[in-house]
Amino acid sequence: MSIVYQRPEVFTNEYMKYCGGCGHGIINRLIGEIIEEQNWKEKTVIVWPIGCSVYADKYFKVDSICALHGRAPAMGTGIKRSCPEDLVIVYQGDGDMVSEGMAEIMHAGIRGEKFTVVFVNNAIYGMTGGQMAPTTLMEQVTTTTPYGRKQENTGNPVNMAEIISQLEGCYYSERVAVTSPANIQKTKKAIKKAFQYQMEGKGLSFVEVLSPCPTGWKMKPADALKHINDIVVKQYPLAVFKDLGRGEKQL
Amino acid sequence: MSKVFMQGNEAFAEAAIRCGCKYFFGYPITPSSEIPEYYAKKAPSEDLTFVQAETEVSAFNMVAGVAATGKRGMTATSGPGFSLGCEAMSYMSAASLPAVIVDCMRPGPADGEILGSQGDYNQLTKGGGHGDYNTIVLAPYSVQEYADFASLSFELAEKYRNPVVVASDGTIAKLMENVELPKKNYEFKRSDWACDGMNGRSHYNDITTCGDGPEQWEHFNITLQQKYQTIQQNEQRWEEINTEDADIIIVAFGSLARVCMDTIKIARENGKKVGLIRPITLWPFPEKAFEKYEKTNTKFFVTELNAGQMVNDVKIAVNDKNRVEFYGKLGGITPTPIELYQKLCEIYP
Amino acid sequence: MKSKLIFSGIGGQGTILMGKMICTAAAKKGYYVTLSPAYGQEKRGGRASCQVVISEEMSSMIISEADTILVMDEKSLNDYENKVKAGGTLIINQSMITKDAQRKDINVVKIPFTEIAAKAATAKSANIVALGAVVKTLDIVTLDDAKEVIKVKMKPALVEQNIKALEAGYHYL
Repeated sequence: MSIVYQRPEVFTNEYMKYCGGCGHGIINRLIGEIIEEQNWKEKTVIVWPIGCSVYADKYFKVDSICALHGRAPAMGTGIKRSCPEDLVIVYQGDGDMVSEGMAEIMHAGIRGEKFTVVFVNNAIYGMTGGQMAPTTLMEQVTTTTPYGRKQENTGNPVNMAEIISQLEGCYYSERVAVTSPANIQKTKKAIKKAFQYQMEGKGLSFVEVLSPCPTGWKMKPADALKHINDIVVKQYPLAVFKDLGRGEKQL
Repeated sequence: MSKVFMQGNEAFAEAAIRCGCKYFFGYPITPSSEIPEYYAKKAPSEDLTFVQAETEVSAFNMVAGVAATGKRGMTATSGPGFSLGCEAMSYMSAASLPAVIVDCMRPGPADGEILGSQGDYNQLTKGGGHGDYNTIVLAPYSVQEYADFASLSFELAEKYRNPVVVASDGTIAKLMENVELPKKNYEFKRSDWACDGMNGRSHYNDITTCGDGPEQWEHFNITLQQKYQTIQQNEQRWEEINTEDADIIIVAFGSLARVCMDTIKIARENGKKVGLIRPITLWPFPEKAFEKYEKTNTKFFVTELNAGQMVNDVKIAVNDKNRVEFYGKLGGITPTPIELYQKLCEIYP
Repeated sequence: MKSKLIFSGIGGQGTILMGKMICTAAAKKGYYVTLSPAYGQEKRGGRASCQVVISEEMSSMIISEADTILVMDEKSLNDYENKVKAGGTLIINQSMITKDAQRKDINVVKIPFTEIAAKAATAKSANIVALGAVVKTLDIVTLDDAKEVIKVKMKPALVEQNIKALEAGYHYL
């Protein structure tokens, strides 16, 4: 009898505190699988954000540090600069990165920091109870946009993977989604490629992952996946925006 | 060893490099900018990492990142920048990260002026950021002491795994004096607790400041407070000059204590028995220096380049048993020794 | 032995450089030297002054009364005339200051630094002429000490003209 599926060795036995249907658990697992498959456990440092993944340090048997809200790229800078041989993973949500930490992520890209950013975009603040994020879709109802997001008051959604790809310091930027087995495999491939670029000493590698938040969106998990595939991707198209390793010119 | 004639900020930067601080993250602000400039200049020849951060918010967090890997890193700023860094000060204190931060104080509030000031005393010693935390604060009064504090600050930071602030000001930062620089004698050793990748370590490390329920967080805070009590017991530092027979004791720190060295001489030439207590650690405040005066008639004259901040700690230290009077200067002008003597005579004729 | 000096002028006039040179010379002889500069927020054209204390032990870097004060412009004269101690020396840059000093209890010396510098070497060395005059008032730092500092601290091409300027200032008194 062969084992076809098991908990990654790099995971602890801690119970994951994510809501039902949340994408974080899948993304955490993909990171764990890649670290394990590539045998990078010994050299990994993960910088966790403030947000729903704030307790993810408890799930991994690797060095982990929880940054302040929005500051993970700055902390990652300090870590990567002092441990350039390590695999430094900066994991951020959309409120953390695009709102509180916009300066930190932009300047990490401007400086071309040689770490990987895994950006989980669920278009809402999950942890604090479903408030609007800069990534929230137009007309989307949240607790701070109870009548739907309106442009005149809040502007428009922010497309980070595209923005980051425009920076000279960015080596690789792709948007993926964890909405189907095929998309999950694409996500794993993207994150793995980003890690590989980092280990080759390239510039900032950035993977934006569209991730469902059934609780915040007030949807059933299956509907949340469909919502991403039908609606969210119209604002946030799934694409490779930059891959200098593939010989692509900058956009 | 021979002495060199050097500016305070540059002497501090050179001393920090010599004691193994290879990582500097900073944002330019007067009067601290010579420290980042010095690191930038020396980076290639000394194999240093220098990053000019986008904000002080980031600079402090980058320092937190380096500290989390167990390596010596620092930033230098002035009041407005320190205010931005307070979020990270609270974080580093809770996360027990051994970082060094220089605050070259300038007159506030807000943008203010760029000369010498001691207006950040409360911010530095009472936390500044949110929550119950303390950082060790060292206040140099000469270029030599400023340079000496480079290694002391890292030693204390690492001993207690706590951020240490070196509180200079616009005067000490720009002052030029003879200074004997430390020898290079730092040897890096990996820390068992650091997040620098396991790389052969048998366990993984997890640094977090997120509570796991109120009971756990209360326990966490109690442990933190126990550390602060230990520091208060062990690390109070001060200097006393001519206090043995003094009727009046001046209490001053940093650049102003330096001025008071001449004030007590003038006073003694005029037949007044005046001494000086100079707190070297602003936190922990050297309460022990005041114990022996509790049952005496010794009077205190506290002078600061602010509207009266340390004076409150002096009042607590003497337990309201002695008379404590205050004279402060605001705006960036440091009073002369004679001006302070005249003020002292007005208060204590 | 203790000397307290103040050099004051406009940014770009070299007052802080003068202070540094005096300090370097005195430090070499084993004195405790302290230079406390004060700049305006702007690099050029703002106030620039420094207080120099040369002594055998550490003391205040802020001076109540100075033995010698050099003023390079009229505002400095207004600000600092009162800070010369009784019997001390006030050196006035006559090239830029037409006003007279008011005090009678101090030695007032007026020197046209720029004109002397132009004659001895180049007008750019006006501050070194002033340095020469300051050195004359000091016991701690001699003319030879100051020459040594010029030789060590200045670009080789500038040494000769500045030594000429230094001597011209020194011998003017």
